[in-house]
Amino acid sequence: MSRGILSGSDWRRPRIRRTALGVHGVLLLALFAVGLGPMLWLAKAAVTPTQDTLRAPLALWPNGIDWANLSTAWSRVEIDKYFLNTVILAGGSWFVQLLVATTAGFALSVLRPRYGKLLTGVVLATLFVPSVVLLVPLYLTVVDPPLLKASLINSFWAVWLPAGANAFNILIVQRFFANLPREVFEAARVDGAGPFRLFWSVVLPMSRPILGVVSVFAVIAAWKDFLWPLLVLPDPDLQPLSVRLPALQKFVELDVFLAALAISTVIPVALFLVFQRLFLKSGALGGAVKG
Amino acid sequence: MKSFTPVAIAVALAASLTACSGSDDSADQSTPSGPVTVKVARDPGLDKGAIAAFDERVAQFEKANQNIDIVPQEYNWTATTFTAQLAGGTLPDVFTVPFTDGRGLIERKQIADISGQVASLPYAGKFSPNVAKAGQAADGKMWAVPIAAYGQALHYNRTLFKQAGLDADAPPTSWDEVRTAAKQIAEKTGKAGYAQLTTDNTGGWILTTLDYALGGRAEKIDGSTATAELDTPQMTEALQLLKTMRWDDNSMGSNFLYDWGGINQAFAAGQIGMYVSGGGNYGSLFTQNALKPADYGVTVVPLADNPEAGVLGGGTLATVSAKSNESVQAAAVKWIDFYYMQKLTDQASAVLDAKTTAASKQPVGAPQLPVFDKATYDESLKWVAEYVNVPLAQMKPYTDKMFDQPLVTEPTRSTQEVYKILDPVVQSVLTKKDADIADLLKKADAEAQTLLDRN
Amino acid sequence: MVTETRPAPLVVSPRIQGRSRRTPLTWARGGGLSTLVFLLPLLLVFGIFSWIPIGRAVLMSFQETNLVTPSTFVGLQNFKDVLADPLLWTAVKNTLYFALLALLFGYPVPLVAAVVMSEVRRFKGLYSALAYLPVVIPPVVAVLLWKFFYDAGPTGVFNTILGTVGLGPVSWLQDSGSAMPALVLEATWAAAGGTVIIYLAALTGVSTDLYEAAEIDRASIWRKIWHVTLPQLRGVLLITFILQIVGTSQVFLEPFLFTGGGPANSTTTILLLIYDYAFANSLGGEYGAATALSIMLAVVLGILSAIYFRLTRSWSKS
Repeated sequence: MSRGILSGSDWRRPRIRRTALGVHGVLLLALFAVGLGPMLWLAKAAVTPTQDTLRAPLALWPNGIDWANLSTAWSRVEIDKYFLNTVILAGGSWFVQLLVATTAGFALSVLRPRYGKLLTGVVLATLFVPSVVLLVPLYLTVVDPPLLKASLINSFWAVWLPAGANAFNILIVQRFFANLPREVFEAARVDGAGPFRLFWSVVLPMSRPILGVVSVFAVIAAWKDFLWPLLVLPDPDLQPLSVRLPALQKFVELDVFLAALAISTVIPVALFLVFQRLFLKSGALGGAVKG
Repeated sequence: MKSFTPVAIAVALAASLTACSGSDDSADQSTPSGPVTVKVARDPGLDKGAIAAFDERVAQFEKANQNIDIVPQEYNWTATTFTAQLAGGTLPDVFTVPFTDGRGLIERKQIADISGQVASLPYAGKFSPNVAKAGQAADGKMWAVPIAAYGQALHYNRTLFKQAGLDADAPPTSWDEVRTAAKQIAEKTGKAGYAQLTTDNTGGWILTTLDYALGGRAEKIDGSTATAELDTPQMTEALQLLKTMRWDDNSMGSNFLYDWGGINQAFAAGQIGMYVSGGGNYGSLFTQNALKPADYGVTVVPLADNPEAGVLGGGTLATVSAKSNESVQAAAVKWIDFYYMQKLTDQASAVLDAKTTAASKQPVGAPQLPVFDKATYDESLKWVAEYVNVPLAQMKPYTDKMFDQPLVTEPTRSTQEVYKILDPVVQSVLTKKDADIADLLKKADAEAQTLLDRN
Repeated sequence: MVTETRPAPLVVSPRIQGRSRRTPLTWARGGGLSTLVFLLPLLLVFGIFSWIPIGRAVLMSFQETNLVTPSTFVGLQNFKDVLADPLLWTAVKNTLYFALLALLFGYPVPLVAAVVMSEVRRFKGLYSALAYLPVVIPPVVAVLLWKFFYDAGPTGVFNTILGTVGLGPVSWLQDSGSAMPALVLEATWAAAGGTVIIYLAALTGVSTDLYEAAEIDRASIWRKIWHVTLPQLRGVLLITFILQIVGTSQVFLEPFLFTGGGPANSTTTILLLIYDYAFANSLGGEYGAATALSIMLAVVLGILSAIYFRLTRSWSKS
């Protein structure tokens, strides 16, 4: 029987039961107000004219609903363009991260070269370096990349490629692969599978759970990214929502701006509601791994 | 055996990586006889009419210069993003900077030396001396072209004035009157009577403006030594005025963190009665912040009764990026001449520019200071008189008196950095009731002096 | 990391087969090349975008770089300049203040919430979803929204709410005393949900036998929490504590978007200062100072974490 701090007999005592339910109720109300409240307000304000929002922010549409805000934000303020940029940036980052993490995890956990431990150590060491240390030199690397003769500024690659240098992904993928049953690999090897077949047809299909977790992390991180795209994508046509919205605030009327903010939250919230368990599991996994 | 697959994959990966160098090199690649591409700056956040007007001008230029291809690029000078863009080489080939940065950019060779091409322009020698200095290197060669000059002005909202019972045609002429008017507006309408720029180096900019208007200066240059003059009676008086309006009169509203775009937006939205900023702001207010023309009024910054009192003046320079090659530079100068300068010197161009701008319902005729001399300026106004569509009558308090006020250039050494030191001073006075003005100014002065000594 | 007996590697070295010495060809044939191919994305991406920049950061902190002329070596000058900057001490003070406030608001509250939530018997998912929702909102959107909420006039959203219960308008971001707490409030709102979920997961791992043993000793609910729950959570609590310290020391987004470091530098944090050094001067950044400060921050955080782990090793269970 699953139980927490309160035992079965605790629950049967009326005073404890009432207090517990009361506390739960208060918590639920608080969560509604604090967690959902701002979002609901934003949804309301997105279709409210500016003057109403300024004069009576808590009122519910005293002068009627202004649906035009949404279409204005989408087309005149071109939120659709920045939205698309965000999606493209997230997609590319996701792909690069998956590519790096799966190939590296496979090589280090399954193929296990002799220098594997050393390489793993060097990769994990970067976890202890705060990302701010990389800010300036990475920027200069992007401005003047090795191998290439042109700067990567104003190119999506400047965001996609550095995203792959994520030691945390390597860590969790490597752990996952290391825990896969080796017998399956042995069997495949005996059947004549080389490393590429092994990777593509055996390991990857078995890794759906961890790939899901890495994907969630990657997409969320890309959606939230602000400082880095701000620095490397100065061309407004290429900027994602996170970079463009603050700049837009100066030229756009309040009601349209709030509509733009609301539109920017739709996809992340929708993804969350659909993939709730995956999100929450990833969040918990993050904590467990760090523990 | 699988010995060839890994090699093949390795080669393919290497090849794809080096092939991915796809950024736009076109600005730097131009054959002598092929078309030259020039990326030029265009204001951000423009509405469709303004963009159409700009594109029309581009089309006119390209028609007259068949082998030059103009590519507009949204661009706005702000202290915080300019250097990143400069370093990343993503600035347009032609871009604008304020006067304050001209000398610094020239010294660091971060803009191209176009003095040769500029010297061959017909009006090269006709710039008014103060204005020309802003774009000249130490040896007098003009590396950047002054395209606009402005003096500070006091913008006010006529509608709020009327609502508060003030005469919209008789705006304040002294700082005491500003204070009274601000108080009345705050009491009668509940909006901020007076607002002050405070962030992103604009705090120091406007505080220095007030300082100049009271007869002070921020820096004293003596040959090669520069002395900071921030701890002066005039600076103290300026801050004291702000403190009184903020805490005693409560006439400055409740929000104080304003940068250039933010205060324009608040003003256009009718939340501010008066504020000091560049004299030519009407254009931005109209095109970027949807200002209602009937609300707009502007007058000169009140000057104290002091022989040193003057209006802070500045301006804009058009420059060419140091990363452009020679043919792009030559084409860029032609564009600067066409888009920015010809309307000031040549009647036909002025009329064409005014006609195009007016046809897209964009403002023509907002007040400016002359880049050349007053006579040329007056003449250029006459040329476009029939296209002027800004409420000139409402700007009369400014245009009547703007030439009578002595114009003083901004401090010339480390200007933006000195402004940055003053930002927190203004912010303190407006957000801390017990701010010690004397102490703040003493510390700022010391900091500025260290800065000037270092550079 | 889990220690286990190392199974036979899948790449068979010729040596094991009793062959003669390894040559490049035998290495390649034995699968060494294919392993390298698999490691190529890692090596390239980490090499170019992680390891080399880290090395470059250390190098640049001893140089003066202005992107036009080649960099010159200046020894410890950058470090001296940074330490002599009066704004540095303001930034350090503000960062510590932020970290402290964040700990005050954001450390106990998620724990309490998680403990309460772990006892919920119906609609548990609803609680989790509501708690985690703010974490999902993109941070920029959250900050811009709260910036509007924090309007200091009487008709600002929060001031209106406070007005309904008779509390006066608060200056929020417009006052150097209240700006930092306002920032922390939003930052906590945005991050608490994640911590709640971590604690919840840890709570489900607490063995129920321990509770039953405590009940045999007739322990009250409070005693059960104090003597069973919290000690069992020790590991997670210690980790989240140091992670929160390290994370909040690097706060950038909130000060940058809410106040730009003001009013009067009351919200300028160390990261904001690094950004200002590198990117905020319109005539060229001080890249040496920026990298020097970031290295100093990294070293301080590293030492702090090392001391912390040493101290807590005896307290936490392995």
